[in-house]
Amino acid sequence: MQTQDPTDLLAEALAKKAGGFVELRFHRRRTRSVAVEKGRVDSSKISEHTGVGVRVLEDGTWGFASTDRIESGTIEQAIDNARRAARASAARRKQRTPDLPHVELARGRFDAPGLELIDKPIDEALAMVLRLEENARKSSTAIQSASSSYTELYEEKGIVTSDGAKAWTRLVRPEFRIVAIAGDAGEIQRGRESVGATGNWDCLFHHNTAEAMTDRAAKTAVDLLKAGYPTGGRKRVLLSPQLVGILTHEAIGHTVEADFVASGSCARGKLGTRVGSDLVTLCDSGISEFHEGAGGSLPVDDEGVPTQRTTIIENGKLVSYLHDRESAAAFGVEPTGNARAWEYDDEPLIRMRNTYIAPGEQSYDELIAGIDDGLLLDGAANGQADANGEFMFGTLIARPIKNGKLGELQRGVNISGQAFDVLGSVDGVSSEFRWDLGSGYCGKGQPAKVDAGGPWVSCEVLVGGRQA
Amino acid sequence: MSSSASAHPQDLKRVAAELMTRADRLCRNALDAGADQAEVYAVRSQSVGVGFEKGDLKLSQVDDGSTLGVRVFKGGKLGFASTNQSSDAALATAASDALTLCALNPPDEANRLPETRPAAPDLNLVDPAIQELGIEEVVDHGQRFMDRAQAHDARLSIDKASVDLRIGTHCFVNSEGAELSESDANLSASIFGMAVDGDDVGGFHYTGDHVRNAERIDAAFAHCADEFAEVCIDNLKTGAAESYNGPVLFAPDAVLELFVSPVISAVSAIAVQRGRSALKGKLGEAIAGANFQLLDDPTDRLLAGAASFDREGQPIGAFPIVEDGVLKSYLYNSYAAAVEGKASTGHAVGGPRGLPGLGPHAVSMAGGSGGDRDALLGALAKGLYVMRFSGTIDPASGDFSGVAKSARWVENGRVVRSVRETLISGNAFELLRRFVAMSTEAPTLNAAARAPWALVDGVSVTAG
Repeated sequence: MQTQDPTDLLAEALAKKAGGFVELRFHRRRTRSVAVEKGRVDSSKISEHTGVGVRVLEDGTWGFASTDRIESGTIEQAIDNARRAARASAARRKQRTPDLPHVELARGRFDAPGLELIDKPIDEALAMVLRLEENARKSSTAIQSASSSYTELYEEKGIVTSDGAKAWTRLVRPEFRIVAIAGDAGEIQRGRESVGATGNWDCLFHHNTAEAMTDRAAKTAVDLLKAGYPTGGRKRVLLSPQLVGILTHEAIGHTVEADFVASGSCARGKLGTRVGSDLVTLCDSGISEFHEGAGGSLPVDDEGVPTQRTTIIENGKLVSYLHDRESAAAFGVEPTGNARAWEYDDEPLIRMRNTYIAPGEQSYDELIAGIDDGLLLDGAANGQADANGEFMFGTLIARPIKNGKLGELQRGVNISGQAFDVLGSVDGVSSEFRWDLGSGYCGKGQPAKVDAGGPWVSCEVLVGGRQA
Repeated sequence: MSSSASAHPQDLKRVAAELMTRADRLCRNALDAGADQAEVYAVRSQSVGVGFEKGDLKLSQVDDGSTLGVRVFKGGKLGFASTNQSSDAALATAASDALTLCALNPPDEANRLPETRPAAPDLNLVDPAIQELGIEEVVDHGQRFMDRAQAHDARLSIDKASVDLRIGTHCFVNSEGAELSESDANLSASIFGMAVDGDDVGGFHYTGDHVRNAERIDAAFAHCADEFAEVCIDNLKTGAAESYNGPVLFAPDAVLELFVSPVISAVSAIAVQRGRSALKGKLGEAIAGANFQLLDDPTDRLLAGAASFDREGQPIGAFPIVEDGVLKSYLYNSYAAAVEGKASTGHAVGGPRGLPGLGPHAVSMAGGSGGDRDALLGALAKGLYVMRFSGTIDPASGDFSGVAKSARWVENGRVVRSVRETLISGNAFELLRRFVAMSTEAPTLNAAARAPWALVDGVSVTAG
């Protein structure tokens, strides 16, 4: 199921069409997925999507073209099309993009761990989702329905540029999801668990077994039927590693993407200034820090830049933005390896990879004990950040904390706040760390596989409960 | 490819014929490999686009690609595979992959192709004046769109904008003799950004439109640019709202997100069959106030989802979902219909890279008799006006909670300030009965759907 290294073919096409900056990116994605709901197989599919994206810098203007034919002649034609597109629009470009400065670009073969997964028969995944969906459905008479799915993205990329990149990367990203729906007297509630990784099933189920996730999803759905709502207002909250992940991604990560900074995000002009408490060190990394398997890992970005760990906030001070080659040149820094394209016919954009707050020194119990009146929140629903730093994200469950003690389960709520105000309010960070958003996709015109996580974090946010 | 996305109007017939030939070949491969039944859905997309970033032209792009998806049934078992490669070997592999999966799956008596039905009338979705646009003209349209927005105010920061010409052809063929194809040419615009005034960064706003008629391009894109600029500027200088439980005025985007989307999820026959619909057992009952009308109308050429056949080759047309507040029908694709021994309502949706899903094509919520937006602000008198919702809606329960975006505080029937950090929550299905008034007009929203402004009572507002 593996393709031959295409970088020689790309280099050959590039040599025939030399002149100016040219970037050729072969991308093959093979997706295998199965989905089951209420005992029926809803989806069972294998999808292949392969092609070459061509980006050129001509007359200080970018041109892009793509082809789904992997032949030297059609790739050369795509280079011509990209140049024609650039020339057609160059007269409209106000600020010409200068030649990209020299940087060390990746050369060679880069295989992520766990590639043996692609040879594993899909039967095992199908048997797993059928069994776990049934387990969830039969775990309680209150469960009305359940669904379970498994998806596996296998990616091969070959990147060749006119200024030296010649890299061939391969990785596999499995995902597992389980949803249980409970009902009683017209009331419907759901519990859900999901996990995603870069690597094999050992990475995927490193923290939780699929069985444990299934049991938890079913129990949450049933328990939420009887749960009440928290009251709204500004509160001290203890965010789970999953919610810390979505906080770092949505509320901070997007505002420090250099393209968004240049447009005027709230992080503009704040380099070197305090944006959080001393307890906050926040990073984005192409490497899976702390343990293997983070879902957004990649060895080389889509401009051929080797990835690295980028410290964005160090002990509360903003120290770096996230860059591609063009923005790095404009800001006078080195690229951080954050250029990513979803498919071969997408242009690379500045995107996050694995984003996290670094662990601290307190235990989970110490953090609970330190809160007089607040909420514990867990289970990320969705999230969005605004240019002004205002963020919102949904939570699945809440539990009140009174005088350092946890109360009964309540329904999840949406929380909101100003990103840097919330980081400034952080007064506790646990030593426990978890990647917990590996099944997530970030949207910015095109999707991207990302991961995020962190420790348990105590901070202050606006909680959207119910008004009487 | 020439400098235009498709060199000639008549080329679309050739494109459709070539695509149909490949679809036929893949369907035959699947039958030869042992399938009892097979269907192939194929799409070819040719596009030319121009993107702007930070107010300047960033990149022009030319793409041309096609994808074919094959669904097979054997002994009541299901399999699916797709490929964007056109070689005979790639098509044979796709057929083989689909059959391999098919062999692994448990049988299901509802797994079969729908009956072939007569085609619906052609909607004629290709305006030659759109189809023949060249890359230079697409760039010109993009630049005019940008200039129009930017001319409003120097404080605007346009993070990203784009104008894209897309010419698509989709074909459907199955082993029961169905053979259909249709082409569509459209020019779309989108814009995303905010206003920045010193240290004051306004909340972002995005909008867009999608045009099939060349005569509408300038007016539609100008309206889009104007609306974007006005909302961004008004998002500056935010103040506080007040917490309360009561009436809130929602703009069409928020109405669609908060009230129409949960209904659409709940009228999926699969959601009903599997116990995750709050509207199970409510057919023929009032689920909303008598002023609530919801239609799926794929014959509306102003909406992007206009088409004459669905993802399973079934003919489609205007389809009432809620009339005078009464739930008229659930939506069925062939699978959901077979489970109940019924016929599909033509609501199979999706692209060639996945199995047919279930949903509407072009949702249209009718307006009411409440006059225009200003009349509804007057009816609100004091409270919150929400243009966009950013939050969570549980489609099963209808519970929602999230941030009111581009929100304004209203006093004495007039907007007095923009507000920040304001959360709203409630239950969509309960609030459907509390629509106090709706605007007369129901505009299109990014060509995806139509919805009016609506004044809704009983919403919980939490101010930060």
